[in-house]
Amino acid sequence: MVNKVYSLKDAVAKFVEDGDRLTLGGFTTNKKPYAAVHEILRQGKKDFIAEAGPAGGDWDLLIGEGRVKVYINCYTANPRLTNISRRFRDAIQKGTLIFEDYSQDVSVLMAHAAALGLPFLPVRLMMGSGLTDKWGISKELRQTLDKVPKDKFVYIDNPFNPGEKIVALPVPKIDTAIIHVHQASPDGTARIFGSEFNDIDIAMAAKKTIITCEELISNEEIRRDPSKNSIPGFCTDAVVHSPYGAHPSQCYHYYDYDIQYFKEYDVASKTEEGFKKFLNKYVYGVSSHEEYLEMLGSNRLLKLKVTPGLGFSADLSKGAVK
Amino acid sequence: MTDYSNYTNEEIQVDTIAKLIKDDQIVIVGTGLPILGASLAKKVYSPNCRLIVESGLMDCDPIEVPRSVGDLRFMQHCAVQWPNVRFIGFEINEWIHGNGRVIAFIGGAQVDQYGNVNSTSLGDYHLPYFRLSGSGGANGIATFCNTIIIMRHERRKFIEKVDYITSPGWMDGSGGREKNALPGDRGPMMVISDLGVMKFDEKTKRMYLAGYYPKSSPEMVIENTAFEIDVSKAVEIKAPSPEIIRIIREEIDPNQVFAKRH
Repeated sequence: MVNKVYSLKDAVAKFVEDGDRLTLGGFTTNKKPYAAVHEILRQGKKDFIAEAGPAGGDWDLLIGEGRVKVYINCYTANPRLTNISRRFRDAIQKGTLIFEDYSQDVSVLMAHAAALGLPFLPVRLMMGSGLTDKWGISKELRQTLDKVPKDKFVYIDNPFNPGEKIVALPVPKIDTAIIHVHQASPDGTARIFGSEFNDIDIAMAAKKTIITCEELISNEEIRRDPSKNSIPGFCTDAVVHSPYGAHPSQCYHYYDYDIQYFKEYDVASKTEEGFKKFLNKYVYGVSSHEEYLEMLGSNRLLKLKVTPGLGFSADLSKGAVK
Repeated sequence: MTDYSNYTNEEIQVDTIAKLIKDDQIVIVGTGLPILGASLAKKVYSPNCRLIVESGLMDCDPIEVPRSVGDLRFMQHCAVQWPNVRFIGFEINEWIHGNGRVIAFIGGAQVDQYGNVNSTSLGDYHLPYFRLSGSGGANGIATFCNTIIIMRHERRKFIEKVDYITSPGWMDGSGGREKNALPGDRGPMMVISDLGVMKFDEKTKRMYLAGYYPKSSPEMVIENTAFEIDVSKAVEIKAPSPEIIRIIREEIDPNQVFAKRH
C-alpha cells in the first residue's frame, strides 16, 4: 500500500505551488487548516488564485502577507470576534487586491459542481443583486489573468423552460485543496466527524489534495468502520499528522476556538504594523507546527478541549454551563 | 433580589423577534439577536419551531450562544449535520414545493425603502470607503425565503438607495422582483430595529412604521430614517415582562455574548 504520509514542510513544499488556484476547507472559525496556512506563509509561497469559500482568519493571513493575487470572496470574517476580516478589508479599501464577489451559496455550489465534474453550473441565484450587476474583476482584466474564468457568469435561457432567465456559472478548476480532518490513515483515507462543510467536494475537485489530521491511524483501523469515512485514499496526495492543526479554529469533538488568539488577532490586524508583529510571534517566530504548539503551551491547549456531551469547552465559557 | 423590570433596546428586540416566530415555522437564524430571539421563542412562545443555519446544521437547539453559524455550539446540538449545499437545496425546494413554513433573518449595513439590503461594501464597489464581509448565505436566503431584516436604526443606514444590493428585497416596488427574475411570492416581511418594527405596504411595497417601543417614538423613527416613512399606522409595542428579561439574561445569554446590559 502506498504511504502518503509527509511532514507538513514537505507536503507544502511539494504540493503547494506559486500561482495555484487554492482552496481551504472548513468554515470561518471552524476546522480551518491553520497549521498548513502558517507553513505556506513560512515557505514564502504566493500569487494564489483564492477560491476562498466561507473564509476567516486563514485567508486574512494570506491576504495580509500579500500572497493572494486574486481573491474570490463570498464572506470573510471571524464572526463575533472580527466581524469583517481586517487585512481583507484594508486591501480592498486600498485597491491592492483583485477581488470578485459571489454568494456563499454560489461558492459552495461551484465547488460542488467541480466535484461532480459538471461543465457549468445553472442557478436561480444572484438575480437582481449587485452580484450580477457588478463585476469585481472586469471582463477585460479577466482575459489577461491566468486561471480566472473569462466571464463572472452569463445569463442563459432555461432550455427546459424557455423564457426563464437563469444564471450560468463557470466551474472552478482547483489546483490545490487543503483540509483538516479528524482521522486519516497512511494510504490517504480520511474521516471527518461532524459537518463536512464542503471539504469532501474540494478534496475531490482539486488536482492536489493535502489532508492534515488530528490523529493518524492505521489503514486497518480506518477500515473497521467505513461508515465513518469521508474521502478515499486515492483522492489524497499527502497526509500530514498535525494535532491541533486547526488551532485557533474549532475541531468538532476535539477542541473549541481559542478566543484569546482571536481577540489578540482582532487588535493586531487593525494595523499593518500590528499584523506583522503578530505574524512574527505566531508564524515566523517558530519553525514548525510542533514549535507553535510548544509556544502555546499545554495548559492553553487543554483548556480548549471539548467537554464531552457539551460539544464545546466548558472551561472557555465558565458560568454558562448549568 | 435581582430586578428585571428594566430592559435594554436589544432585549426588547429579542422579545419582538421571539413573538413573531410561529410554532410551525422553520427559522433560518444567523448569529446575534436572531439566535437569542429564536431561542426565546423555543423556550417560551413557540416550542415547536425549528432552527436551521446556512452552514447546513438542521433543527438546532443550542445550549450556549453560538458566535458563528458553523460553531460547535450549533453542531453538537442539532438533528442533522448537512453540508452547505444541501441547506441551499432545502431552501430552494421549500419554494419549489410552495411551502410557506420558512422564515429567515438577515442583517446588513444599509437598507432602502423597499427592503433591499447591503452587506457588501459602502461607497464605490471597486474602491469602497468601507468594505464589509460579503453576502455569505444572505443572497440566496433573500432570493427564496421570506425575510426579517435586523438593523440598527440610523439615518445613514436607512437610506433612499443602497450602495450595493447584496440581498434583494422588493427591488423598486410592486412587481420589482418578477421583473428581476426573482420569486415574486417571497420577499422581506419586515425590518426590526432598535426603534421599532417596519413593514412593507401590500400594494406599493414601501416601508412603513408598524410599531414602536415604549422607549422610542414615531418621531425618532422619522428623524433616523433618510427616506420618507409613513408612521400613521404605528402602534406601541408592549414592553417585555420581567420574567422574559430574566430568561434572556439568566438562561439564554448569561455570558452576554450578544445582548449587552450596560
